[in-house]
Amino acid sequence: MRIVIAEDDALLREGLALLLRAEGLDVVATADNPAGFLTAVERHQPDVAIVDVRMPPTHTDEGIVAAGEARRRQPGLAVLVLSAYVEHSFATTLLADGADRLGYLLKERVGRVEEFLSALSRVADGGTAVDPDVVGQLLARSRPDSALDRLTPRERDVLSLMAQGLGNTAIAARLFVTEGAVHKNIRSIFAKLDLTPLDHADRRVTAVLRYLEDTQAQP
Amino acid sequence: MRRYMGERIRATVDALEHLVGGLSTAILAVAALLCLLVVFALSLGGAGIPLIPHALRAVRTAADRERGRLSRWGPEVFGAPPVPRRIGPALRDPAVRRELVWLPMHASLGLALGILGLTFPLTGLQSLTFPLWHRLVPPEEGGPGLVSWRIEDLGDAIAVSLLGAVMIGALFGAGQWLARLQAWPGRRLLTPAPGTDLSVRVAELTASRAAALDAHAAELRRIERSLHDGTQNRLVAVTVLLGAARRALTRDPAAGEELFDRAQRAAEEALDELRTVVRGILPPVLDDRGLAGALDGLVAGCALPCLLDVHLPARCAASVEATAYFLVAEALTNAVKHSGATTVAVTVVMDTRTRRLRLSVSDDGRGGADETGGSGLAGMRRRVEAYDGKFELTSPPGGPTTMNVELPCGS
Repeated sequence: MRIVIAEDDALLREGLALLLRAEGLDVVATADNPAGFLTAVERHQPDVAIVDVRMPPTHTDEGIVAAGEARRRQPGLAVLVLSAYVEHSFATTLLADGADRLGYLLKERVGRVEEFLSALSRVADGGTAVDPDVVGQLLARSRPDSALDRLTPRERDVLSLMAQGLGNTAIAARLFVTEGAVHKNIRSIFAKLDLTPLDHADRRVTAVLRYLEDTQAQP
Repeated sequence: MRRYMGERIRATVDALEHLVGGLSTAILAVAALLCLLVVFALSLGGAGIPLIPHALRAVRTAADRERGRLSRWGPEVFGAPPVPRRIGPALRDPAVRRELVWLPMHASLGLALGILGLTFPLTGLQSLTFPLWHRLVPPEEGGPGLVSWRIEDLGDAIAVSLLGAVMIGALFGAGQWLARLQAWPGRRLLTPAPGTDLSVRVAELTASRAAALDAHAAELRRIERSLHDGTQNRLVAVTVLLGAARRALTRDPAAGEELFDRAQRAAEEALDELRTVVRGILPPVLDDRGLAGALDGLVAGCALPCLLDVHLPARCAASVEATAYFLVAEALTNAVKHSGATTVAVTVVMDTRTRRLRLSVSDDGRGGADETGGSGLAGMRRRVEAYDGKFELTSPPGGPTTMNVELPCGS
């Protein structure tokens, strides 16, 4: 797996590269600013980009913008965004054009190396990875009158794991239930969120987006 | 009884101070009145008409002085909206009209009472002590003040002395009333007319409140940013290195050791970062040594020779001290970096009566400091205005540069 890292903090950048190389992954380039990152992507055509949200010059959402631009220039590029804290608007901006090959993790998750690596490979394989904390906060803040309110606690658990990008088997294993039960829950979630099987987009992703939109609309 | 006397004396001294303070604004009022009369005379021929707004602004200056004086003493007298530029609206402005009524009153009554407040106690004391020195004065010259008859002997002198005692007694009895009488036109006429909306004052307060929130928000943003981008990144790096080290332990213990080493160094860096951030919020030196000590340290560390004059009889609110410290630090940095000065003078004085802190930093450099030039000056002004303070910078090309700041001490 060929990886480009964009992170302005030198220590963290080197730490990440060190960690990934020790795992036998191929870190082809690192950058400390958005322009350098875009150049590196163009030159090395990596499989995955790991991007910090806050980068120079204003340290706000340069990383998100740069990630979007990189995906525009190189369709199919998998991007894993690292953020210092949960920011709804970033998550929704990022996932608005589809959640394939995208991940949004809190920085501290990187220290849980197994989780980080599995999120990385999930994203590289075309999946989604949303940080459990991000999903948890979004769920906790959902509007009282929203469709999400109609979900049972178990269905919320399932949706939360779906949002993190887990498949049915993995969800079943986490919740200690059968895959059949998970399947039933998911069908029920789709029904409650009015997602018909005819919907064009991936219903799993749409369900997750429904969350994000729902929570973002709040003050 | 003793306490009562103490209070009387204090009240009388205060009253005298007010009367003399009123005298100074009354002199300004006289000057403004003269100015106005000259402009009026010129306007009869037509030549003075363009000068009318200027004359009205001169009146406003005198009135504002009086407002400031009255506000320091009793209930605050709010400032009036700016004098309109054009003559018609300016003459129709209710605040201006009230000031025009006030002006001759203060220039006459206020002046007279002020002079009385200055001369009455002096004459009273002179008269009271007259028996002690009446021999030094030829008898036909009379006594002090209005005593113009012949003073023949000690008996006459003692009579004068009794007169002095009566004067001082009268002063004790009436001083406060005189001061109030002198202030009365201002309190009546310099406040907004009944029914005037206080929208300008409200707007002023809103702006300063908004500036306070802005300054606070900016400060919080600065702290948040240094925590997120500095300290948090360091700590994330620590967890990344620890995670990598744990995984390396099974494969290659030596590499693991090296990673633990790095993790430890990263943790130490995080601690350093954190200390820097905390220091930026409230310099611990302020806590340890107070503002005076902190300024000492600041001046000692300055690359230019500094004259420091600090007079702080009491402490200010912590945030005010932090702001004062920040302002002096910034001003010194600017002086060292940009001014080419050879010496800097720093003065920090607290006025215990008005509870205000006055700072001044001046250098003998080349001047030309520009607030719009993206320097820290705009930020300094914002931080001062956030406290409803005053920030003044004079820096003509060729120098010298002087920064004057006034901050309320807070509780």
